[in-house]
Amino acid sequence: MGLLESLGLSRGSSRVASTKDDELFGDDFQRKLDYLALVSKRVFAGRMRAERRTKKSGSGVEFADHRDYQPGDDFRYLDWNVYQRFERLLLRLYEEEEDLAIYIIVDASASMGFAGGEKLRYAKRLAAALAYVGLANLDRVSIVATNDRVMERMPTTRGKARIFKVFRFLSSLEPSGVTNLGDALKTFVAQNKRRGLAVLLSDLYDPEGFEKGINVLRYNKFEPFVVHIVDPAEGKPKLQGDVLLYDCETGDEREVTVTAKVLEKFSAAHDEYTQSVARFCATRQVSHIEASIEIPFDELILRVFRRGGFLR
Amino acid sequence: MLPFALAGLPLAQLAAIFGVAGTAVVALYILKLRRRTVAIPFSPLWQKVLKDKEATSLFSKLKRVLSLLLQLVLLALLVFALGDPRAQAVIVKGRNVVVLVDASASMQATDVAPSRLAVAKDEVKAMIRGLGGADRMLLAQMDAVVTPLGPMSGDTGELERGLDTVAATDTRADFARALRFATDTLRGLERPEIVVVSDGHLGEAADSFGAVHLGDVKLSYVKVGKGKNNVGITQFSVRRYPLDKSRYEVMLELTNTGDVDADVELELTGDGQPVDLTKLRLRAGERLPRFYPNLSGASRTLEAKISFAGGGHDDLPADDHAYALLPERHRAKVLVVTTGNMYLDAALLLDEYLDVTEATPAEYVAKYATGGDGAKKFDTVIFDGATPATPPRTNAIYLDPRGPGSPVKVLAELKQPGFDKIDRKHPVVRFTALDDVNIARGHKLEPEKEDKVVGASEQGPILVAGSRDGHKFVALGFDIKDSDLTLRVAWPLFLLNTINWFSDDDASYLSSFRTGDVWRIPVAGDREEASLKLPSGVLTEVPVHEGRAVYLGQHAGFYELAVTPKRGDAPELAGPATAFAANLLDVEESTIAPLDTLTVDGKLAGPLEGFHVGVRREIWIYLLIAAALLTALEWATYHRRVTV
Repeated sequence: MGLLESLGLSRGSSRVASTKDDELFGDDFQRKLDYLALVSKRVFAGRMRAERRTKKSGSGVEFADHRDYQPGDDFRYLDWNVYQRFERLLLRLYEEEEDLAIYIIVDASASMGFAGGEKLRYAKRLAAALAYVGLANLDRVSIVATNDRVMERMPTTRGKARIFKVFRFLSSLEPSGVTNLGDALKTFVAQNKRRGLAVLLSDLYDPEGFEKGINVLRYNKFEPFVVHIVDPAEGKPKLQGDVLLYDCETGDEREVTVTAKVLEKFSAAHDEYTQSVARFCATRQVSHIEASIEIPFDELILRVFRRGGFLR
Repeated sequence: MLPFALAGLPLAQLAAIFGVAGTAVVALYILKLRRRTVAIPFSPLWQKVLKDKEATSLFSKLKRVLSLLLQLVLLALLVFALGDPRAQAVIVKGRNVVVLVDASASMQATDVAPSRLAVAKDEVKAMIRGLGGADRMLLAQMDAVVTPLGPMSGDTGELERGLDTVAATDTRADFARALRFATDTLRGLERPEIVVVSDGHLGEAADSFGAVHLGDVKLSYVKVGKGKNNVGITQFSVRRYPLDKSRYEVMLELTNTGDVDADVELELTGDGQPVDLTKLRLRAGERLPRFYPNLSGASRTLEAKISFAGGGHDDLPADDHAYALLPERHRAKVLVVTTGNMYLDAALLLDEYLDVTEATPAEYVAKYATGGDGAKKFDTVIFDGATPATPPRTNAIYLDPRGPGSPVKVLAELKQPGFDKIDRKHPVVRFTALDDVNIARGHKLEPEKEDKVVGASEQGPILVAGSRDGHKFVALGFDIKDSDLTLRVAWPLFLLNTINWFSDDDASYLSSFRTGDVWRIPVAGDREEASLKLPSGVLTEVPVHEGRAVYLGQHAGFYELAVTPKRGDAPELAGPATAFAANLLDVEESTIAPLDTLTVDGKLAGPLEGFHVGVRREIWIYLLIAAALLTALEWATYHRRVTV
């Protein structure tokens, strides 16, 4: 029995569970979410704890560190035991308990629905999984769908029980419109004053440049986490001869005679594009992960956790 | 005026075809330009890739137009080829050529390697390959007959296949017949020409109809051969002695047609065994007859062969070998009905191949005369002064016949008749001298309409030959004992001649036939076909006409003729095989020095001209080649993405 079921929150008990995305968020998927939630706890409780410790002292119950007393500090936090032993006035610091704001931004432009919408489907699953982990940690989770604007927005929510709200929201997303992350994320930051982790799930096929959108997040103190959804088949299109190419977002047309040489060049250009995304994120200390849709989503989620930076 | 004319489809039709096909090509081309539409997720990536190509987009468009133009040019070439265009000069004046390839015996000469005939065929092959587009040619083999080797054609493949069938024969060429064939073939055709490929030894171009007239037909002569050293057997004959058929004599003649003396060995073999070997020296141009009397040993075949001293050979081996067959000997059964005649008995004893039975007239009546059937088993019955009441059902000699049983009427008695008139060509009196035979008395014979009077005195016929009911007879109108005929050599000769005549064992037997003639070989029975075994061993069916198998022999050697049984006949009715020999024996063919010129009808044959190998005047071939090359070019450029 899964965790959700033990809480009486299984899909069968929900009247609003989407029948459309039965397969997308089915029983198997939910079982995997339970597993991921458990694994994530173990990961945080283990080797990753030091990295996650906040530097901020606060009114929490968990001891964090000592520091030298300075005039004006609250006497209540002086550690008298240390004073007795070392005759130094040291202040006890406690971790401030703070709930994290997690924004999951799903690119729902037309290019994400290309070739049967496999990329969008993959993004939805990733979004659901990350949202579940966030909810399980009692973080504040919000999901936003964008194309060249903020298409839809799921208000901030908290608690595992809200996962079906997440499912419903994600299920209702349909790919459409042109990608413009810059404009869309400007709207997003304007709507969300509370800063936090902004997970961007996108193929980053932005004619205006993917950098704009990420920079908007960076400049507005969000902590961007870029999940670059990649369909490897797009790098090796099965084309031959004289064809008329049209862009599924912009509708731009172009006559091309595809030869082996042209395909080779295109494949190289595609690889270069994904590498340029990685390069951009690395140079700007933006967490980035390349999510090939050929990799099972749960494996990818674990990879995300291991990279760190997702949860405090 | 256009430099060419269309021998195929007319121009208007070609234009229509080009119009329709061209429209189709353009339509297909436009269809080809309608590209398949393919969606992509992110066009900027493609723009990056195609940035270089964009720089040459104008050139790309030009290339596409070029591709269409290339296809239209291809179409134009193919349509134009359909019109079969030919140069004006050629289409009006295509030549019609009959090539006479000499396949006579002299063309077997090996003075040019490998043989004159092979060289002649090479020459003709070169002519075929040098034919113009509008030229047409007919090949004919010229030997004892003229054999066309195919129809008048401009198809080089067909002509070359015909040429391959040319084979040498052991005959002389019938030049007049070949020329008449050629002139008849060329009558009414444009630019007629006869090309003779030969060594020039063709004889006069005349036959029984007179000299051949060429008219306005051009005559060209291609000389083949260069050597002239040859010694050949130009005569070869053998015969048995009439009175001793176990012995025979041979006559042959050797001729040195070259211009240097030659030492040769002449070998004579009988039934495969050597009979004689002689070394001879023949001066240049000498004809040397040789006579071999009184030979014995061989019973059937005789061959003469010459070889050169020192193992060398002359230029024409075909005439170094001659063949002959001795006449067949068979035992004749003779019944003599006499009361006793020593001269008759003595004469019949001379031929050991006679199986003689003697009977008195009374015995004949008792044993053989019943219905005449009793005498049927004999080849000949001789009635010496005893004439039967009914004639026997076989051949018969009547000596002094009397009474109603005589085949001819016996009239008044003649006093001292003589052979004043003799039919010397008749076989029964061959080699005899009867003019001074003395006869005391005799009787005048009255021949019937079909009978032949062989000898007659001034008073009337005394020697008559003829046939009754299919059986031959000879009647002598006097008793030989009343004459001095019995004391002369003519008596046994007369008897044996008569017996031979009865049995068709003719002393005029030919020991060999001559190649190139139509042979008529007697065939027993009323068959319509006979089977002839050639010297090469090949069996061929020959027709039988009026009791004789008819065949045009072209090769020297021994032949065997067997009667083909009719369907349903018993095998034994096939009859015995008849063998005979054939020889070239022709001085004209043995003279192999090639002639530099050829004159026919007072016209000197000119050299061959107008045949240029490798130049076909059929433009459509070049159009097709051009189309093929363009297609190859288009294919290569397409696959290398030059034109796309």
